Amino acid sequence: MSLDLFKLVLQLTVILAVCRVAGSLFRKFGQPRVVGEMFAGILLGPSLLGWVAPALSAYLFPPASLGFLNALAQIGVVVFMFLVGLGINPAELKKHGHAAVLTSHVSITAPFVLAAILALYLYPRLSDDSVSFTSFALFMGSAMSVTAFPVLARILIERGLLKSRLGTVAIASAAVDDVTGWCILAYIVALSRVAHSGTSIWTTVGGIVLFALIMIYGVKNFLVGMEDSYHKWGGLSENRLAVMLLLLFGSALCTEWLGLHLLFGAFMMGAIMPKGEKFVNYVLERFETVTVTLLLPLFFAFTGLRTNIGLVKGHEMWMYCGLIVLIATVGKLGGSTLASWLTGMPVREAAGLGTLMNTRGLMELVILDIGLDIKVISPALFSMMVVMALVTTFMATPLLSWFCPDRILYGTPLPIAGEDAVRRPVAAGAESRISA
Amino acid sequence: MAHINRNFVIAYTLLVALPLVGLVGVLRSGRKLTAPISVDGLWQLHVDPERMGALPCGKMLADTETALLISQSGRNFALNLSPGPKSNASGVIDGNTLKASIVPSAEWSAQAGCGNNHELLLMATVDPRVEPRSLTGVLWVNGCPACGSVEFRAARQAPPLRKGTR
Repeated sequence: MSLDLFKLVLQLTVILAVCRVAGSLFRKFGQPRVVGEMFAGILLGPSLLGWVAPALSAYLFPPASLGFLNALAQIGVVVFMFLVGLGINPAELKKHGHAAVLTSHVSITAPFVLAAILALYLYPRLSDDSVSFTSFALFMGSAMSVTAFPVLARILIERGLLKSRLGTVAIASAAVDDVTGWCILAYIVALSRVAHSGTSIWTTVGGIVLFALIMIYGVKNFLVGMEDSYHKWGGLSENRLAVMLLLLFGSALCTEWLGLHLLFGAFMMGAIMPKGEKFVNYVLERFETVTVTLLLPLFFAFTGLRTNIGLVKGHEMWMYCGLIVLIATVGKLGGSTLASWLTGMPVREAAGLGTLMNTRGLMELVILDIGLDIKVISPALFSMMVVMALVTTFMATPLLSWFCPDRILYGTPLPIAGEDAVRRPVAAGAESRISA
Repeated sequence: MAHINRNFVIAYTLLVALPLVGLVGVLRSGRKLTAPISVDGLWQLHVDPERMGALPCGKMLADTETALLISQSGRNFALNLSPGPKSNASGVIDGNTLKASIVPSAEWSAQAGCGNNHELLLMATVDPRVEPRSLTGVLWVNGCPACGSVEFRAARQAPPLRKGTR
């Protein structure tokens, strides 16, 4: 496989242009840019371009050239997962005690259990005997229970709700969801790889535990030193930023080598980073722009190239797809709404929280990509799950406006201890904080 | 405070703990389910090149380098030549039997020197007891009894593509 530089740069140009245009169009309709970019990826794949203009599709994206595109996309997702981990702050959960604990745990268990029940129906129809039912059901559960932490944060920022009770509980719950979802996914990936590599599961588990201990008790202390240096000098030198990148890629390589996946190491590295607000914002600013504007669109395009809506053909397949969307929504939106309502949140606000938690966005695509790679899900099921990710992410903004119009959210302030729940203006041009 | 804690414990038990117990039950009952046999992957084709070449549109399959690339989704699968021109080929799995219809693309028809309106039909049986799995079957042209049929064997190249690895 030789590198055709012209073709690669042409692909980058087309992808960036289409993603930018689609993202801007969707923003005009009140949707987060990421929804448009996800949609753009589908447009560039066999579902549209390959269908209406197969010759152009074959010229732009010949199978032999996709390896390089995938490599760039995966590097983008590695950095993105680091940024997601960086944005997660366990202290947020403690602030909200029972409300956030119950909401987050129910928002995982409800879709997870419903997905496992759905798996009983789908496994004989959409899987094959090389995948065990346990792996299939657990994967479906973790894919359905994930929340797009970054998209959720983006919607909250755009609506000025980040510091409201709704916003803080949503952020805390989404953080717990993501950490739990990734732990379960790590288990599935480890099981799948161990089954096919002949390595003992205990070797993998022992390695992961050792790696986690080194990260938490060794690397974390080193990173605290970096934060101190940031506060002392008002910034980090290029050398220190390079060391941070080295640690990120080193961590990713360790988890890949241990039989998990690059992304777990990247996420872990982000999760153990110091959580001082200024330091986090500083690091985000350094890494976010290139990742979000250049590398993530490549991931959307690569995912789109693997998504073939044409595989979902016939009323039976569309019924499966509809069931997946329905179960995912009922489990996540319904479960989160019920739990937050039980903890004392007014019903409309609780439904707003459920809507936010039902947003899956890019996180879902990352998980699905892994599932397709390790063949826990089939191409048709992958396409159905991508449709589910698009639908649930797309419905978030209009549903939130419907459940929680401004008069409800801002008419009666709902302060939390020591915090102001009134609308927080968004800075002009602010499209940051992991806007994917 | 004790009241809040009691309500929390009740809610947590009903909404989190009990569903998790249910999940264990679902996982246990799911183990009894059987999924369609796995045929996903690259299959090296073994045919009599002369007989296959004599079949209308069969020239592309007569090449000893040609393999069948099966992309499976449950009972359904898509089938392509690797390497080779695209085809509009799809099929279903019924037990250990595969049935597929291959409609050659314009490029395929041009390369094979056959007309556009030929449809190749494939029926094969998978032997699940041997690894790598093997396939035995026949290919014939739909609506052309005079063309005869060609027997073939195929062996899966490796476990399903990149299974468990990246």
